[in-house]
Amino acid sequence: MATNNNSYNFKVVLLGEGCVGKTSLVLRYVEDSFNSKHLSTIQASFLNKKINLDGNRLNLSIWDTAGQERFHALGPIYYRSSNGAILVYDITDMDSFQKVKSWVKELRKMLGTEISLAIVGNKSDLEKDRHVSLEEAERYAEKVKAMHFQTSAKLNKGVEEMFLAVAQKMLDESKEKAVQAPQLTRNNSQRTVTVVDDDVVVTNKSCCASG
Amino acid sequence: MPVLTLQRSYKYIMYATKQPSLRIKQADLKCKSGCGFYGNADWDGYCSKCYRNHMDHVRQRKSLQNQTPENSKTQMSGFTKFEEKKRQQTDKKNKYLKSLPVFRKSSNVKDSGRPERYADIMRQSTPDTDKLLVEFISTYGEWGELVRKDLLKCAQSIVTEIFCGLDTKPIEDLAEIAQNYYNKYDNRLLTNPVYQVVPSDVKDQLLDFFEKYSMMSLYRFLFCPPFTNDEDKDLAIQGRIRKLSWVNAHHLDCCISETSIEVRDLVYSAINDLLGMDSMKTPQEKLTCVVKCCQSVVKVLQHCQGGPVSADEFLPALIFVVLKANPARLKSNILYVTRFCNDTRLMQGEAGYYFTNLCCAVSFIENLTAESLNMPAQEFEAYMSGELTCVSAWESALVACEGMHQLCEHLALLKGLSERTDTVKDDTQKLMEDMQKLKEEITEKVTSVLERTPLIIKPRKTLIQLTKENVSLTSAVLIPLSANENIPTDHNNELEDQNPTQNYYLQNLSMAQINLLDSTKNKLQLELTPCITIADSSSAVLPSQSTEFLSSMDRSIDSITPDDSSYAGLSKINYDIDFSDLSAENSMADELTPEKRKSPTPSFSTPDPFSPLGSSCLLMQSPLVPSAAFPQPEAKPLKKDDFVLPFLEDMPVPEERLLDNIEETTAISLPPPMKPTAAEYTGFSKQGSKIPSIPCSTGESGFMSLPLDLPSSSKDSIN
Repeated sequence: MATNNNSYNFKVVLLGEGCVGKTSLVLRYVEDSFNSKHLSTIQASFLNKKINLDGNRLNLSIWDTAGQERFHALGPIYYRSSNGAILVYDITDMDSFQKVKSWVKELRKMLGTEISLAIVGNKSDLEKDRHVSLEEAERYAEKVKAMHFQTSAKLNKGVEEMFLAVAQKMLDESKEKAVQAPQLTRNNSQRTVTVVDDDVVVTNKSCCASG
Repeated sequence: MPVLTLQRSYKYIMYATKQPSLRIKQADLKCKSGCGFYGNADWDGYCSKCYRNHMDHVRQRKSLQNQTPENSKTQMSGFTKFEEKKRQQTDKKNKYLKSLPVFRKSSNVKDSGRPERYADIMRQSTPDTDKLLVEFISTYGEWGELVRKDLLKCAQSIVTEIFCGLDTKPIEDLAEIAQNYYNKYDNRLLTNPVYQVVPSDVKDQLLDFFEKYSMMSLYRFLFCPPFTNDEDKDLAIQGRIRKLSWVNAHHLDCCISETSIEVRDLVYSAINDLLGMDSMKTPQEKLTCVVKCCQSVVKVLQHCQGGPVSADEFLPALIFVVLKANPARLKSNILYVTRFCNDTRLMQGEAGYYFTNLCCAVSFIENLTAESLNMPAQEFEAYMSGELTCVSAWESALVACEGMHQLCEHLALLKGLSERTDTVKDDTQKLMEDMQKLKEEITEKVTSVLERTPLIIKPRKTLIQLTKENVSLTSAVLIPLSANENIPTDHNNELEDQNPTQNYYLQNLSMAQINLLDSTKNKLQLELTPCITIADSSSAVLPSQSTEFLSSMDRSIDSITPDDSSYAGLSKINYDIDFSDLSAENSMADELTPEKRKSPTPSFSTPDPFSPLGSSCLLMQSPLVPSAAFPQPEAKPLKKDDFVLPFLEDMPVPEERLLDNIEETTAISLPPPMKPTAAEYTGFSKQGSKIPSIPCSTGESGFMSLPLDLPSSSKDSIN
């Protein structure tokens, strides 16, 4: 969602099953800390991050979501009008990967290609317990036109890169969108502008009259 | 006198002007307004109060008559000016609105009742919008008139447009219009030259204000509008939440520890914030309430589990709070915010996130099933139908909490009370100790004083010697004949005298001790009482005296000896006690004083009541004793010489004499400051020059209390 020429506001939702490390990822990225007890004042469910990317100012609003199965139905409320979605799974947990797949389906169905997707295999530090193979995950990601990353929030591996890549992609897509569909927005703006102009004229007149 | 007469005449004039007749009726004196109080001619016959009212009326009438438009304007205070301006603006606004093409069109097309209704909105929405305007002017006034005009104009246009669409368009379209207007205004902020000077953060605030202002004006029409089914939804969700009242934190897998008092308080504050949402009018204010509520929820979770709060924990907690709060018109509020809050705000930022979570919570509650609570469908149904009434952990926890809370409070109270009793005990202990200490101190002081005071008695001996010397000197020098004879007897007398006088002194000392404790003022009072005792003691003493002269001398000596201490005191300042004692016979002492006075005057300031012996001795050595003796001896010796021997041997006879003597001496004692004595003294060329000082000294010595007696006593002394 662009406001100024070079400043963008992006909303990114974190989706995934419970206990895959969504919150840890966000905390690691925004506060550069892992499972920190000393950050008790921070609420990790919603965080803002400002970054500069190629001279563009990006304001990332990262929304954590409740991952429990029973809240799955609430997904649409969360990811409504978001620019990016980070789908997190636990490489030691095949079920979480399956969950990611269902999320992807839902997102593509609801939002189409408007949303930038990133599939993230977290807990890469637990390589020995890996149940989701990297090849499988990457193959799937490619199939659904999503990025794929391996991260370890615990070791702070690949977290920043992942978020930056997502931001870059959202930026590219929004620029592309602006180029592709200038007419629609222009139409909208023109319509609104005309009304305003009308008002302006009238007010000017009234002002003059009163003055 | 002339002044008095003038006053009288003035009074009379007043009187006359008011009442020409001599007989004044009561009613004529009363206030003209008939309030029952007395009137005054100066106040047009009104009482003071009625006159003031009357004058106020008169003044008001005058000011009303005098007031011209210019005057009224200049008289206006800053605020009224502001109001006036605003009124003009609103007038202008109304004019402008009437001239608005959109409005005109619609009014032309639609029924003629619309304009009135429109005017009605504009008028009725003033209290809130006026407040906002004032706020705006105070906050953004620095950006100039143009910014404000433009903002108000845009707000007016959105209000107009939405209002026009109220009857024809569905609420969603109205929401879109509002969103369009927000975007438009946002663009306008960026493009319009009016806003060029405004920094970007203020522009954001202006956008918020634009939304606030327009929504404040339209709140009545857009919140839970009658052409939607929002109200039904409200009732539905309310019933649903009521049915789900049995759901507790455990059902939601929510880690709120319901039994903790702190948690309970936090949950209460969250619930309060959520309930407060309904009373707010603009979407932003409602959002603020939601944010506050959610922050409280976050605090609850932090308190319960510690560490950062993730959405996995936050959402169940929020659901729990919503279930327990069951806010009024929840759905209407949510829909109102969703529709008319600027979308960009809803999609980002803290407020947007929390509001989204609230929406999720409501949605979850609406679609709550047995599955979502992880319980068998049968049990869920039983709960919902009311067959199973689980003693809700929350409710019971509340009761338990209440009990615990009260217990804690009472315990705290008891603790405080016990602390206070302890402190009181300590204080009383300390006080008792202090009192004991004080008692000891006082007794110690008293004893020390008692110990110290006997010392004064000793000087008496030396004094006696001195007096003897003096007497001998005086008698030798001045009255050789009588003095020579008297000296031996004098010695005897002195020895005899000692005992009674000692008693007397002890009395005095006791008095002095009392005096010590008292302030100096009290000393004067005490002066008189001793006189009586002196009389007695002196009467006891006198019989032993051989000659009248001697007796007088003795008495003088006696009186002096006590005086000595006092004289010591006099020299050093404290003669109160002794003087008082000697007041009867002080005449001698007083007469003695002048010379002493002159030399030791500086030492008068020293406050020691029981002056050292040495000083008193020194003082006594001064030749004043004789001088004191002189006046009397010369006058009296002739008379009293015959009685000298009888006095010594016969007790009864002398007593009469003695009494007379006492009277005389007392008489003499009193007059010192007076002229007569002074006149007597003038006869002595040597000391006459020193006499003038006498009155002063006696005056100081505390005889001032007896000034009235002096004339008579002086006469007596002359006699």
